[in-house]
Amino acid sequence: MIASTIALYFYTKNLLKNEVEEELFSTEARIESAIKINDISFSLPPVIEVVEVKELEELFLKDTLIYDPSQNEDEVFRELSTFKRINGKNYRITVRNLVVESKDILIAIDVSYFIIILLVFLFLFYSNVEGNRKLWFPFFKNLEAMKNFSVKSEKQIVLVDSDILEFQELSNEISLLTNKVQDDYQNLKQLTEDVSHEMQTPLAIMQAKIENIINTNKIDDDQYKLFSSLQKDIQRLKQLIKRLTLLTKIENNQFINIDKVDIAASLGKTIQNFKELFNLEIGFQYKHPLFVSMDPYLVEVLCNNLISNAVKHDVKKDEILVSCSHNSMIISNSGEKQIENPEKLFNRFYRESKSNQSTGLGLAIVKKICDLYGFEISYKFHDARHIFTVNFRI
Amino acid sequence: MKFLIVEDELDLQESIVTYFEKDANICEVASDFHEALEKVELYDYDVIILDINLITGSGLEVLKALKKRKKSAGVIIISANNSLDDKLEGLDLGADDYLTKPFHLAELNSRIKAVLRRGKFGGDETIEFNEIKINTKSRTAYINDVSLTLTRKEYDLLVFFITNQGRVLSKEIIAEHLWGDDSDLIDNFDFIYVHINNLRKKMTGETAKYIKTAYGSGYKFINY
Repeated sequence: MIASTIALYFYTKNLLKNEVEEELFSTEARIESAIKINDISFSLPPVIEVVEVKELEELFLKDTLIYDPSQNEDEVFRELSTFKRINGKNYRITVRNLVVESKDILIAIDVSYFIIILLVFLFLFYSNVEGNRKLWFPFFKNLEAMKNFSVKSEKQIVLVDSDILEFQELSNEISLLTNKVQDDYQNLKQLTEDVSHEMQTPLAIMQAKIENIINTNKIDDDQYKLFSSLQKDIQRLKQLIKRLTLLTKIENNQFINIDKVDIAASLGKTIQNFKELFNLEIGFQYKHPLFVSMDPYLVEVLCNNLISNAVKHDVKKDEILVSCSHNSMIISNSGEKQIENPEKLFNRFYRESKSNQSTGLGLAIVKKICDLYGFEISYKFHDARHIFTVNFRI
Repeated sequence: MKFLIVEDELDLQESIVTYFEKDANICEVASDFHEALEKVELYDYDVIILDINLITGSGLEVLKALKKRKKSAGVIIISANNSLDDKLEGLDLGADDYLTKPFHLAELNSRIKAVLRRGKFGGDETIEFNEIKINTKSRTAYINDVSLTLTRKEYDLLVFFITNQGRVLSKEIIAEHLWGDDSDLIDNFDFIYVHINNLRKKMTGETAKYIKTAYGSGYKFINY
């Protein structure tokens, strides 16, 4: 655009210069013929000057500055001086033409050209952008909807219709796909809940029957041992169901009671309970209460699961330490070596060894609770200790 | 005592009946919602064991009917649904306790006894067994009027034993009673022995003999 403006400037300038010069030549020719016919020399300074000279010289063209009293300033003139011998006399004929006006015209043309080009450019640019925006609007809107889509939410994805066939097909397919994914997810969740629920009653029957059998006096010690171990298995199943249901409930966002709960107090209570039951020593340090907004039941679960995990894996006895600061809690126990797959630690059913019969859900639940409230949980092995830190991000 | 067992799972119903008839209780049963409603309105019971997830209707409606007629039966809800809302609703409607399936019959028995104590003696809650006397309100135990210094778990254990006298209590049942079902430590029941031994030591001499070992690893509280 600028290049074309510059080109236009020089082209117009050249054109105007030629025009001025042509005019000068034609004026000079007229004067010459007027002198020839009338044999008079006349002048009209500064535009026309006819002077008798002794010798003839080459004609020359030049620019000159002449004071113009009417405008009270120096103006640029184009000057043509020719030397002619007319009727036996030598004349110098000088014609001048004002250049100023032509320069103004030049600038006017260039500026208007530039403005027109600029306006056209801006118009095209914005109409193009606007057109594209309209054209792609359904696409980006749907893309945004997909980004915000969550399998876990029960809200259906809301897509924008489009006149463009390809976009319309795309959004139809997205709708189908997301609905199916959501349905599958809901079914799966419902299955966990239903299965857990349906298993409770048969388990209750089994447990009740076993209890009646051990009270009949018709069994011997070995049979009792078998029944007692059956009770243990039932209890294991029961805990598994309970924890699975809890996980599902947390995922379903069914814990909506939010209270300001003192983590330090809850830890203290849990520790007291463990101490009484297992005759353990658990070190507990805290200075201030630590209030966190969350479901009171989940606070209990959080403290209980972390401490029972520490109790279970404490290799030397009585080496469990719990501490609570203004925004975090740390629970640690003695250990022999770093766990092999720390990244899997919070996965459901992940166990380092087959030896213990835990449900393998305790830490998965802890992680779920932390995720639910945006707490940060981390694990590290340091100085022969397994250390779990929960940062409440206060 | 006269019991009404409202439970539509017949196997479970039968097991509960078997368990409680041993203590010379009279057990009536209701196998569906309408039968339960009818029996509750016609007869009086000391204890009603009420399943609230009946196929033909909600046990909570039975509870409402019961309270409308101002019947004084102790009500224990048994439910396969472990939701806090159900529990709170049941207790709000006037149920005395709530147990989630599956439960130990000994646990159910001990809850029933507690409900009956609260109902019969109106606050003055005592359990007596020969020379043992327990005040459940102040949580203190006496042998021949001499107070025993028990930890909380030992006290719970003693009450659990006395309310389930004559029954075999396996370590699984005891562990669950003491610990609740929140524990994920089920491979380790050694702590039970520690508590029972401590309790026996504190009960001293003749009284300690009430706690008998059954089948090698279980326990039974009996009047020898």
